[in-house]
Amino acid sequence: MSLEEPTETEIEPVPQTAEELADLLGDRVVDREEHVNAPGFVVRPDDVQDTLRTLREEAGFDHLSCVTAQQYADRYESIYHLKKYDDPTDEVSVVVPTPSEKPVSQSAEPVFRTADWHEREAYDLVGVEYEDHPDLRRILLPETWQGHPLSNDYDQNRPQVVPLREHANPLEEDHRAGEDADTMFVNIGPHHPATHGVLHVKTTLDGEQIADLESDIGYLHRCEEQMCQQGTYRHQIMPYPDRWDYISAGILNEWAYARAAEDLADLEVPEYAQVIRTMSSELCRIASHMLAVGTFALDVYGDFTAIFMYAVRDREKVQNILEDLTGQRLMFNYLRLGGVVWDLPEPREEFFEKTRDFLDELPEALEEYHDLITGNEILQARTVDTGVLPPEVAKSYGATGPVARGSGIDYDLRRDDPYGYYDELDWDVVTDDGCDNFSRLFVRLREVEESAKIIEQCVDLLEDWPEDERTIQSNVPRTLKPEADKEIYRAVEAAKGELGIYIRSDGTDKPGRFKIRSPCFSNLQTLPEMSEGEYIPDMIASLGSLDIVLGEVDR
Amino acid sequence: MPVPLQANATANATAGQPSAPLADTIAGALGVGGLGGDVLGALLGAFLIANVMLVMTAVAGPWAKRKITAAFTDRIAVNRVGPFGLLIIVADAVRLLSKELIIPDGADRPAFDIAPILIPFSALLGFAVIPMGNGIHLADPETGLVFAFAAASIASLGLVMAGYASNNKYSLLGGLRSIAQNLAYEIPLVLTGASVILFTGTLQMSGIVAAQTETLINIGGIRIPQWFAFVNPFAFVLFMLANLAEVGRNPFDIPEAPTEIVAGYQTEYGSVYFVLIYLGEFIHIFLGGAIAATLFLGGPAGPILPGFVWFVIKIWAFFLFTQWARSAIPRVRIDQLIEIGWKGMLVLSFANLVLTAVIVGVLA
Repeated sequence: MSLEEPTETEIEPVPQTAEELADLLGDRVVDREEHVNAPGFVVRPDDVQDTLRTLREEAGFDHLSCVTAQQYADRYESIYHLKKYDDPTDEVSVVVPTPSEKPVSQSAEPVFRTADWHEREAYDLVGVEYEDHPDLRRILLPETWQGHPLSNDYDQNRPQVVPLREHANPLEEDHRAGEDADTMFVNIGPHHPATHGVLHVKTTLDGEQIADLESDIGYLHRCEEQMCQQGTYRHQIMPYPDRWDYISAGILNEWAYARAAEDLADLEVPEYAQVIRTMSSELCRIASHMLAVGTFALDVYGDFTAIFMYAVRDREKVQNILEDLTGQRLMFNYLRLGGVVWDLPEPREEFFEKTRDFLDELPEALEEYHDLITGNEILQARTVDTGVLPPEVAKSYGATGPVARGSGIDYDLRRDDPYGYYDELDWDVVTDDGCDNFSRLFVRLREVEESAKIIEQCVDLLEDWPEDERTIQSNVPRTLKPEADKEIYRAVEAAKGELGIYIRSDGTDKPGRFKIRSPCFSNLQTLPEMSEGEYIPDMIASLGSLDIVLGEVDR
Repeated sequence: MPVPLQANATANATAGQPSAPLADTIAGALGVGGLGGDVLGALLGAFLIANVMLVMTAVAGPWAKRKITAAFTDRIAVNRVGPFGLLIIVADAVRLLSKELIIPDGADRPAFDIAPILIPFSALLGFAVIPMGNGIHLADPETGLVFAFAAASIASLGLVMAGYASNNKYSLLGGLRSIAQNLAYEIPLVLTGASVILFTGTLQMSGIVAAQTETLINIGGIRIPQWFAFVNPFAFVLFMLANLAEVGRNPFDIPEAPTEIVAGYQTEYGSVYFVLIYLGEFIHIFLGGAIAATLFLGGPAGPILPGFVWFVIKIWAFFLFTQWARSAIPRVRIDQLIEIGWKGMLVLSFANLVLTAVIVGVLA
C-alpha cells in the first residue's frame, strides 16, 4: 500500500444514523428530541456555530433549510432544520433552547449565510436574540414596531403608536456618505416597475455600477403564520397557502401544507387523489414559470413586449384548465387533507381533451419562446455571465428551485424526497451549469417541458382509472387533533423552490406553531452576491431571474 | 413603359440656390410681396407644416402606437371610443391636459420648464428643410442637411436639462445616459449622412432629392431610380441603426429604460409637460424617418401617388420599424451600447465612407 494513495478504508465514513451523529457531536448534545421528520439534538446556545459547522463539514449537512423560533411557557427555542443537497431525506434538527428571561443564542450566520435573514425574522417575530449576528434588525415589521408578535406575552390590542418625528425624514439625510463621496444612493422600489411587487432595494451606485445593495422586505407582510396558528387543521388553514405565492402556484403551496399536516396526523392519501394532485400541481408550475419567463423578458426587453403577452396568452390556457378543475383561477383551495375536494369535472373526456390540446400546442409555443428569447443574441449578450451565482454560494444561502438548478445543483424534492405520484412517473430534473441569469431562464423553460411530460402521463393514468376506484379523499376525522408536542418539518418542490412547513401540535385542533419556509425568502438573499459590481440593468435582470413573489417573501 | 417618378419637389427648386418654396407660394397666393410677404409666407408655412406634423403625432402617439404594439403582442387595443377607437385621441388629450401639473420640490427652474418645450421644438425645427413633395418645402438653404442634423441634436440638450433639473436620481441617470448615447451615435449618423454627400455633391435637400431621381438600372421595363438605399444598401442599414439609437427606441431605449431607471429623464414630468415630451419623442421619430427618406429613399418620390403621400408613407414606415423593434428586440446594456457605438458603428461608418467613395467613382 503506497502512502500517496489513501484507500477506501482510510476515509472516515460519513455518520448516517442518529446514534452516529450523536457520537459525532459528543457532549455538545445535552438532550435528544424526536421530530417526525428527523432526529433532534438539543445543544447549548453557545454551541450553535460549533455544532452546525461539525454537521456541515463532517456529516455533509450542507443545507440549512429553515430556522424556526418559538416560545414555550418556560423557554424560547430556535430550531435549525438541516438537510443535505445530495439527499434531502437525510435530515437533522438542531434545537437550541434559550431561557425566557434572556433569550440570547449564538448566530449561525458565520456557518450558513442564509441564517442571516432567518434569524432576523426569528428576532422580529418571536424575540430571540442572536449574538454575533452581523445585522440583527427587524426584517418584516417596521423598525419602530413595539413587541414581538409571535411571543406569548404580546398584546395584540395595544396600539402601535409611532411619533411622527421618527418618520419625519425616511431618507435619513439623503444617505450621503460624505461630501467627497462619489457614490450615489438610489431607492429602487418599493414602487418600481421591475421589483415584481413591493420590494425595496437600497442601492448604492458608483456611476452605473452597483457598489452596495440591500433588500428591504416586509411591505407585504400579512401575518400568514399567525393566521394559520389560529385556524383549524381540518378546514381553516387550507385557503391560506394560495395567498403565499399567489402567481397561480396555489396548488403547489397547498400541497406543502397538506403534506406536512398529513404526515403529522398520519393521514393516508388515496392514489387517485395523488395523481390528480400531481397533475394539477404541474399545471400550476407551468403557469408560474410562464409568468416568470414573461416578466423576466419584460425586465430585459423594456416595454410591454411580445414575449410577455405571448407568455400570458399561453398561461391563460393553463388557467382555463385549472378553472375547469378547481372552479377558481387564482386562489384554488382545491386540496384537502387526505385528498382533493372534488373529482375531475364532468364530462371527463372534455377535460382530458382540453388538457391534451394544451399539451399538444405547448412544444410549438416553447419553440417560439426559444426563438424570441433564448435564441436572441442581444438577450444572450445581456444575460450570459451576468448575475453569476456559484453553486457553493447558492448552497450557503439555501437557494433552491430553478435558482439552485440554474447553478448546477441537482436538487429537486420531487425526485429526491418523493411525494405524490412523482416517483411512478418518467421525467427528468433539469439543471444547467451556467450559474448566470441565462441558465435560470433556460432551466425554467425546460422545466415547463418536463412538467408537460408529467401532466401527460397523469392524464393517461386518470383516463384509464377504473370508475369504482376513484376515491378522492380518505377518511379524515371531522376534528383533527394530532397528539401534543409532535413536531414536523416537511417541504415540497414549489414553483420557486423548496416550500417547507414546520408544525408543532399542542393537542388542540390548531397548530401550536406554524412556520413557513418560503423559497423566495432564501433565494432573494442571494441578490447582493449576484449584483454587486454589476450594472443596474444586470441587477434588474438578476432580480427577474430569481422570480420572487413578494407575497411569499413577506408572508 | 417606365413609371414616371414624382419630381414635383425638385421642379421649383434650382440646385445651389437657397430658396423657400412653400413660403414663396403662400406669399404669391396671398398677393403680398417684398419682405412682408416673405415673413408672412414663412410664418404661415411653418404653421401649416407644424400642424401637419402635430396631427400625425397625435394619431401616432395615443392611437397608432397602441394598435401597432397590440398587433405585435397578440392583443386588440383601443376599440371602444369611436371608429377603430380613433376618438381615444380626443379622450387622451383631454385626460392628459386636464391633469394637475406637479413640479417637484427642488426642481431647477426654469430649466425644468424649458426642457419639455425644447424637445418637441427642436424636432419640429428640423422639418423646415425637409422637402415633402408637391412643393411643400419650407426652406431650402445650401446647408440643409447640416441644419437638419443640428436641429435634431438640440433635443439632447433638452433631455439633459430635463434629467438634471428634475432633482431626481433616476432622471439624472437618464439624462447622463442620453448624452452618452447621443455622443456615441451621432457621429456615425452624421458620417453616414456625409457619405450621401459624396454621392450628391450638395448639402441642399432639394439637390439630394434631385440626385436620386436619375435611373440606376432598368429591369424588365421597370425603371429603378438611383435611390441611395439601392446604390449603397450598407449605408442605409447603418443609417437606420444609428437613427434608431438617435431617436432612442429599442434596442437603444436606454435613456428611458422603464424597468431600470423608470422612464429616466421624464420621470418627474406630468400633465402638459409630459405631453410635450411625448410629442417631442414622436416628432423626433418622424424627423428621423424624414431625414432617412430624404437621404436614402428619394425623398417624396414614388410612382402614381402624389409626392406628399409618398413622403408620409415613408416616414410612417420608419415609425412602424421603430415600433417593431420595440416589440421584438431586447434592450442592450449601457456599456454594450457605448461599445457598439464607438467600437462598431464608428468604424463601420468610416468604412462606409470609403466604400461610398469607391461606388461614386465607379458610377461617375
